[in-house]
Amino acid sequence: MNTEKIAQILKKRFLDKVKEVEVFDFKPAFEVDSKSILEVCKFVKDSPDLSFDLLSCMAGVDRMDGFEVVYVLFSFKHKHKLTLKAPLPKENPEIESVSFIWAGANWHEREIFELFGIKFKNHPDPRPLLLPEDWDEGYPMRKGWKGADFIPLPQE
Amino acid sequence: MNKEEMKTEVFEVNMGPQHPSTHGVCRFVLKMDGEQILDLVPHVGYLHRSLEKIAENRTYLQYIPFTDRIDYVSAMFCNYAFVHPVEKLAGIEVPERAEYIRVIMMELNRIASHLVWFGTFSLDLGAITPFLYAFREREKILDLIELVCGQRMTFNYFRIGGVSRDLPDGFIKKAKEFVEYFKPRVDEYEDILTNNPIFLGRTKDIGILDQKTAINFSVTGPSLRGTGLKWDLRKDEPYSVYDRFDFDIPTGKKSDSWDRYIVRIEEMRESNKIVEQALDSIPSGDFKKKVPLTFKPPSGEVYSRIEAPRGEMGFYIISDGSPKPYRVKIRTGSYNNIGVMPVLCKGVLIADVVVIFGSLDVVMPEVDR
Repeated sequence: MNTEKIAQILKKRFLDKVKEVEVFDFKPAFEVDSKSILEVCKFVKDSPDLSFDLLSCMAGVDRMDGFEVVYVLFSFKHKHKLTLKAPLPKENPEIESVSFIWAGANWHEREIFELFGIKFKNHPDPRPLLLPEDWDEGYPMRKGWKGADFIPLPQE
Repeated sequence: MNKEEMKTEVFEVNMGPQHPSTHGVCRFVLKMDGEQILDLVPHVGYLHRSLEKIAENRTYLQYIPFTDRIDYVSAMFCNYAFVHPVEKLAGIEVPERAEYIRVIMMELNRIASHLVWFGTFSLDLGAITPFLYAFREREKILDLIELVCGQRMTFNYFRIGGVSRDLPDGFIKKAKEFVEYFKPRVDEYEDILTNNPIFLGRTKDIGILDQKTAINFSVTGPSLRGTGLKWDLRKDEPYSVYDRFDFDIPTGKKSDSWDRYIVRIEEMRESNKIVEQALDSIPSGDFKKKVPLTFKPPSGEVYSRIEAPRGEMGFYIISDGSPKPYRVKIRTGSYNNIGVMPVLCKGVLIADVVVIFGSLDVVMPEVDR
């Protein structure tokens, strides 16, 4: 299915909960209201016209004025792509977990939680993944985070 | 004493972090009832170097050597997976010769990477000879790659807009010799292992991964093709100049460990075919497009994926127009493939954990990054 058609279906189904944004690949891309992410993800996976069965990548982004969770999706059945973005507030960023929809999201969400401090509600296994067990230096992937032994590069 | 009187209890075993079959540092906590696995919990992160954070403090060019360390067994792919989306973002057209050199290097690297897997997988099963055979051929490939870029493991060869230097004189001849030399070698590997009764007993019907589970867990690469799905990004979403070469996509039927084995063996043959065709048809011309020293791609976001030996490797790059990337997310094959271990290992014997893990071909630095 071409990108316009996917965009049409999503716009028709979710109205103002989704907003189209620009990316270079994996078009179309939508900004989704973070409260309805579960609903949108369920729909794009289960709808036979879309059936996005592969969660190709999932990334957390610190946008300085807030956070963002990016879902890069692909469908083996229709060979089409989709990017979803859920913006989150700077204070207490929280979003529903999609591990029940794509099991592959499980580790990505654990990683995003420990590196960005974005909480995933109803996550089946919210343990830290990569950092040491006794880590207490905050969320390292946030912009402006500096480790205790950080030495800045000399300015050119 | 009859069975009812015997007291049994569930116990936990730590496999790793330093276990010979984990190919790196990875720990499995196994909950066992006798020899049977009730539950398996993977613990990763021992090799976490925070490569994503490092990217935010380096320029695009400075970051290329770091990508070598994502998966040191197939560093060419990590190089390519990073420069490719950046080129896409900046709209750089790479000279044809550079793309051919890249394909030759990547496919040689794929053979080398599969040889490492082949050797260590058979070593895990107790067969030592295949390991020696595999490393004999891998040595020749590393010699070839060393001729070109001076490195044997962390190549740092690709640049934005091409490759760092042209192929040296005599490389094509040497590479062609290798291609001819390698063809009968794969048959040799198959003679020792493919139909060996012990090998069959260890791998047939072990670790059956059905297609739905595989896709649900985002398993990609040879492990996904082992389930019978004919899906290869080189063919289905051609990047570089892969659409010009003729090769097949091997798939499995029963999606057990043996199928994943045979898919990789066949892939070595196919990669050899691609190298042969590329060597025959490599055009002359520039090996690198001139890119300004302070390279600044326009702001934008791009996700681009390639078919690495261990599955889909993708970089999600956000550029804000400055010389340094705003955010780099690395998606690797092993990261998602290892996630399926708890499902595959439920109810199997402890000896099979080694086989299943080996057949998924996981390289730990790629998981931890």
